[in-house]
Amino acid sequence: MAVGRKELRALAVALIALAVVAAVLVPSAAFTAGYLALIAFFSTVRMTLAFLLSLVFAIAYGTAAATNKRAGEFLIPILDILQSVPILAFFPPALLFFVYSFNGNVIGVEFAVIFLIFTSMSWNMAFGVYEALTTLPADLREAATVFGVRDWLRFRRLFFPATIPKLVYNSMLSWTVGWFYLVASEAITTGAFTRERPGLGSFIYDAGQRGDLASIVVGIGVLAIVVLLLDTFLWRPLSVWSERFRMEQTAGGPVSRMPWGYERLRWLPRFPRIRRWIAARLAPLAHGWNRAATPLDRFYVSHPRVIRSVRWLDLSMFLVILASVVVTGVVGIAAIFLSPLPSLASEIPVAVLASLGRLVLAYLVALGWTVPVAAWVAHNERASRLITPVLEVVASIPATALFPLIIAFSVLAVGAFGLEAELAAFLVSLFAMQWYLLFNLIAGMRSLPGDMREAAKVFGLRGWTYWKRVLLPAMTPSLLTGSITAWGAGWNALIVAEYISYAGHVYQVGAGIGYLIAYATYTPGDHGRLLLLSVLALVLVVLAMNKLLWRPIIRRASDRFRIEIQ
Amino acid sequence: MTDGHPILEIDHVSRSYAENGKEFRVLEDISFQVHDRDFTCIVGPSGCGKSTLLREIVGLDRPTSGRILFDGEPVRAEDTRVSMVFQSFALFPWLTVTQNVQLGLEAHKVPEEERQSKAKKYIEAVGLAGFENAYPRELSGGMKQRVGIARALVMDPLLLCMDEPFSALDALTAQNLRDEILALWTNPDLPPSAVLMVTHSIDEAVYLADRVVALSARPGRIVKVEQIDLPRPRNRKEPEFYGWVDEIYSLIV
Repeated sequence: MAVGRKELRALAVALIALAVVAAVLVPSAAFTAGYLALIAFFSTVRMTLAFLLSLVFAIAYGTAAATNKRAGEFLIPILDILQSVPILAFFPPALLFFVYSFNGNVIGVEFAVIFLIFTSMSWNMAFGVYEALTTLPADLREAATVFGVRDWLRFRRLFFPATIPKLVYNSMLSWTVGWFYLVASEAITTGAFTRERPGLGSFIYDAGQRGDLASIVVGIGVLAIVVLLLDTFLWRPLSVWSERFRMEQTAGGPVSRMPWGYERLRWLPRFPRIRRWIAARLAPLAHGWNRAATPLDRFYVSHPRVIRSVRWLDLSMFLVILASVVVTGVVGIAAIFLSPLPSLASEIPVAVLASLGRLVLAYLVALGWTVPVAAWVAHNERASRLITPVLEVVASIPATALFPLIIAFSVLAVGAFGLEAELAAFLVSLFAMQWYLLFNLIAGMRSLPGDMREAAKVFGLRGWTYWKRVLLPAMTPSLLTGSITAWGAGWNALIVAEYISYAGHVYQVGAGIGYLIAYATYTPGDHGRLLLLSVLALVLVVLAMNKLLWRPIIRRASDRFRIEIQ
Repeated sequence: MTDGHPILEIDHVSRSYAENGKEFRVLEDISFQVHDRDFTCIVGPSGCGKSTLLREIVGLDRPTSGRILFDGEPVRAEDTRVSMVFQSFALFPWLTVTQNVQLGLEAHKVPEEERQSKAKKYIEAVGLAGFENAYPRELSGGMKQRVGIARALVMDPLLLCMDEPFSALDALTAQNLRDEILALWTNPDLPPSAVLMVTHSIDEAVYLADRVVALSARPGRIVKVEQIDLPRPRNRKEPEFYGWVDEIYSLIV
């Protein structure tokens, strides 16, 4: 923090001088460095576009679901399902759609890549907006109403600021997830054709295909630098700034100011005219929406009976739609089953079980190391200050970028027994799952009120009793949130984990639902029905786990511990 | 001091909620009037529906039956002539003191310059000069409620509604603010003209009010409307004062 401007400038000059000298001495290295910077830039632009799209979507969708009860009744279940669909399963149809829409032009591929990243970023952000608005204190809403704050002003002064902490937090999460899918999508093979767009992801993928370990390490290094830069200059200042928008828990304490670097970015153009122009265009829209909604709301409030019948109507309409969806679905599936099944379809149940076993194992291993580490970090101020940033950067290197290294390691470790694909799939799942657990657990234990900790100390709670009575109950909610996210990520990772092509060799597990999906997607031939069936099976398993396992546990936990599950 | 005409009329108001098929009666047949220049307190034990009643008076909630008329017309939440101070302050944490105070003016499209000067005037009136650019979490509880009061007064209300405004504050701060509210109310150059305050403290009600509306617990019914004719400033040590406190206490318990 105390590094002055002068020292920084000196360092920058030294680095540039060093770079110039290096470039003169080794021109080819300079060319490579320039190329790497360029593809890193391309990848970042793709991420940024997808993120902006997600931001607009999340704010609009989340606000609509939270401020309009009737809209929320169907918007939230839809979001729930979208979130459960394995993202990579979106890709083949999206790629086909965009490529054909643009007559095979590369722009179509770019759109497909951006769309895939968008689907990986937007759902949790939309949920974040929804949660922030549904937990908005009632008195703030009432104050806004009493003082006549409506329409656009209400959004600007109340709803939008209230979502900022969750939005920033979820944006950081989304970027981490986004890198994973960027690397997976910049180089993709569907059926007979391979599409590549220049970027860090395809660079690492190509290096992997050649078995060029040095380039792989360089690619991952550049990715880590980009992640680190974004973290330092974008997310850190933003998350400090977002504290200002948090609802107060305790009185007192200074308002967080921007960390040093940010104040210096004030000269950056802020486009007041464009902002005003957009605001002026949006204001009538919001106004019209509210003008239409207000009399309706008033009417509903004064006629409770109408609400009841409207709800019935709503419910019956929903049932009709559901029934028609089910009927078309059944007819469609029947059509699939009536024609001879693809030979591999009979493997689906075994494949699902095998994948489930892999994820359970990865989950247990992740749990095994994250719980103690989180407890240690949360109780040790110095450890947390030193280790958290390191962990954050390590965590944001996507598992997909680590493929080549994971494969190389697996071959070395268990290649002799022919288990390298199994180990690699396990490791990729582990990498995809563990960080969600770790960071949720750290956050959960940090939120343990200080006075509770002090009370535990005063009453001499130590060792196992301290874990049982204080730590474990305190971490339960965040453990659940983390587990749900981790499992979601795990299922998604399977599609790329169980079928890895590296250095001209394909590493595939014996049985796995991810393998089936990847096989149906990437190998030439007509596997449309196999793909559909496998994706369907995967979605069913994910939904069943959410509804039958996680929801009941959450309900019980929130009853028992009286803690808000976010 | 009750010489004004009635500005607020509460006419046979009842409120009930349906929960799990059962009907909860919160308020039953409440009728009273608030006159201009009056300081009225509604007291009652917790759960008597007094906050619900206040929310109905400012238009945030609607009675199941009965009417609430402000200046002869049904109340609307957006009406600037009725303003409100919240128990939990309800300040927007992301806005500065000035921005919080200006909120209602901004909503009613008051020009920027007028907004600034009015906000300045009322921030000074509640003794917060110098804290214009502070954020709520940098302020103590008492200062926060001063912002809440300034935010309500800047709308130039005829009737100021307060929902247990001092119950989240320590005793000393609360007493200071009580005296300041009385000073503002007696100042003819500054709003509000009339004050309607909800409280569970009988002592507070007798200290402040011209009239005390005493409510019974579940469902809230009016037990009695008392006219407190003690001269101001009132002294808690005088027998007349605790005579009133005792009488109201015996009414609602």
